[in-house]
Amino acid sequence: MAALLPHMVNGLALGLLFALIALGFMLIVGVMEVINLAHGSLFALGAYFALSAIDGHWLASSDLTQWWLSIPLTARYVVALVVGPLLAAAAGMILELCLRPTYGKAPLYGLLLTFGAALVIEELIRVVWGTSGQNLPVPDAVNGAFLMGGVIFSKYRFFAAVFAAAAVGAVWLFLEKTPYGAIIKAGTHDSEMVRALGYDLTRLRLLVFGFGAALAGLAGIIMVPIWGLRPHVGIDVVIPAFLIIVLGGIGSFWGAVAASLLVGLAIGITGAYAPAWSLMSMYLLLIAVVGVRARGLLGRKSVLEN
Amino acid sequence: MSNSRITRRRLMGTAAAAGAATTFMGPWKFNSALAQSDRPIKIGFTSDASGQYANSGASDRRGMMMAIAEANGAGGALGRPIEYIHIDTETTPATGSRVAERMITREECGFLIGAVSSGVANAISQVAQRYGVIYLNTNSSSPSESGENCHRVKFVWDGNGANFAQAAIKNAIDAYGSDFLLLTNDYVWGHDTSAATRALIDQYGGEVIDEILIPQGTRDFSAALTSIQQKGPSIVAAAVGGDDLVALRQQVAQLGMGSSPAWINNQQDWPDIYGLPLDNLFGVFGTTWYYGLDLPGVAEFIGRYQAMYPETSMQVPGNVFYNGYMATRELLAAVERAGTTSNIAVIKELEGHQMSAADRMQHFDAWIDPVTHQVQQTVYLATANDAPMDDNDMFKILTQSPPDAVADTAAQGACKLESYEDTPTFDA
Repeated sequence: MAALLPHMVNGLALGLLFALIALGFMLIVGVMEVINLAHGSLFALGAYFALSAIDGHWLASSDLTQWWLSIPLTARYVVALVVGPLLAAAAGMILELCLRPTYGKAPLYGLLLTFGAALVIEELIRVVWGTSGQNLPVPDAVNGAFLMGGVIFSKYRFFAAVFAAAAVGAVWLFLEKTPYGAIIKAGTHDSEMVRALGYDLTRLRLLVFGFGAALAGLAGIIMVPIWGLRPHVGIDVVIPAFLIIVLGGIGSFWGAVAASLLVGLAIGITGAYAPAWSLMSMYLLLIAVVGVRARGLLGRKSVLEN
Repeated sequence: MSNSRITRRRLMGTAAAAGAATTFMGPWKFNSALAQSDRPIKIGFTSDASGQYANSGASDRRGMMMAIAEANGAGGALGRPIEYIHIDTETTPATGSRVAERMITREECGFLIGAVSSGVANAISQVAQRYGVIYLNTNSSSPSESGENCHRVKFVWDGNGANFAQAAIKNAIDAYGSDFLLLTNDYVWGHDTSAATRALIDQYGGEVIDEILIPQGTRDFSAALTSIQQKGPSIVAAAVGGDDLVALRQQVAQLGMGSSPAWINNQQDWPDIYGLPLDNLFGVFGTTWYYGLDLPGVAEFIGRYQAMYPETSMQVPGNVFYNGYMATRELLAAVERAGTTSNIAVIKELEGHQMSAADRMQHFDAWIDPVTHQVQQTVYLATANDAPMDDNDMFKILTQSPPDAVADTAAQGACKLESYEDTPTFDA
């Protein structure tokens, strides 16, 4: 058990990170019934915006850049945590505007459009930031390692997990305690009723897409110091995000969170005892759960179910 | 008067017809000869533009393109201009097969060049052998490529996992201890490299205490790194590549595990490490070329690269670019020596071909092994440079080994090349 404990700790931390990745995806699927295959590219875009926000090379003059770089990294990192997701949100909103002609048509149109958008965004990243891998610096306070129970853990991984938990909590508070959150939740249940009640569905979709993209961008900023920053880093995100929302139940917030933790634990524990199966474990988990309960862990019951 | 009588009119008509036919056929034959010398030699670039090896694939292509640009500047090969076409092999063997098939049957490519993933290279080479099209595997490093997966049409341009392990293992045991843990990317290159490493560990009296398989596409190494800490080896021999290696390096650096245990990382491809923090470049690793080698021709080679690619973020070329360039250059030189693009003649020019150290900007002469079709070349061991001259100077070269000291001896027995008679003839 003592040998298993560090793997469970790592698995839970990974699960919280997956929850952050899956949240934005879940919101867009829930409200708009659009599977956003560009979610991974928005994840990468957020990280690249953050990189530019930190290194300041986009500033007009080298004097300005030097001034910016003289500001402590912690302050620049905090700015990046705000600016990166906001710019990713803007990109998401532009994408939503492009998606509008596909609403009401066969879902394949939306899928194809978001798939194309993913390719375009990835190529734009290559054009603007280059093809090589880059490094997103993090403040010294969260860098390095610490010893716990005789095992070395990464400070940054724990910071990222705590940040993810706080972000999940903030999103939940927004959804539960604000009128906008209530409208979004209503939209996940019945978007037509929301429109019938006089709410501007068009504007709602735009804001939800932007919000989902912002969460994707935020996840990217948090994850790339662990995964590395490359133009195609978003490829690693879309499949796990999709799997998690299906496992948790489409449109279910806590279902997505529970599924994320289960996936993290599955990868962490199989990584310890059957490493060759660590990536396969999340698919086996999906088959095991959905095979017994088609709506996922906490998904809504279908009218066809007894 | 008989109808068969040869009249002057009939004779004149026949002569006119014969003259017209001669005139008509003459230009055809003449144009045909012109067409042969004008017809471009078309090369298919089978390199990755997406997936795990996208970055290295781009570097590979730049090397090939520079070699072709230089050849065309000198009049092409056999007086014929050289063209190329690239289709993304997506770091996926099935895509590699489809791309190779399309390049040969639809795009009419006479030669195929390029690979980073050994799985993709193997798939491409099977298609190439079926048609008799010469294929240069520029950068994949699985020992099986010049072993059991060798083919008459395929030539392997990079050092492989067995070469780098030969260079590293004995030194590592002497320096750090004898208990090893293997970290193995779960695909052909990883398995073959770890198998070669294991054989050497046994040979030099070491012991493998465990092997952890890393599926391709792994981004979270916390489980593997925790297991390493729990098992406590003296040395970790990692056969992990591409984006997986980028993530591994990032996470090892965050844990501060770069110096203990000792790490042997087999081959480090330049595109996978360029621009990243030096902390990420822990352990000892191998390469076949470095821009900082103090050898004749290196500075001028870098100058040509920078002139052709002023916009690229990679300011200096590395081993992947170098292999792509050298392979393409030597192929075109072999075509010139053969005096033809007929595949068997070009293959015979490549087999056993000697390349001087000066020409290759390496420390020792190289040659193409006629038994395995792998280039036998200098292997360098390096580590992170703690006193770099500039931001690009990331490597400190520790040793350089001559080819015969690091030869993959197992490949000699494992490789069974198809006979010339069993290889379809093909003329580009």
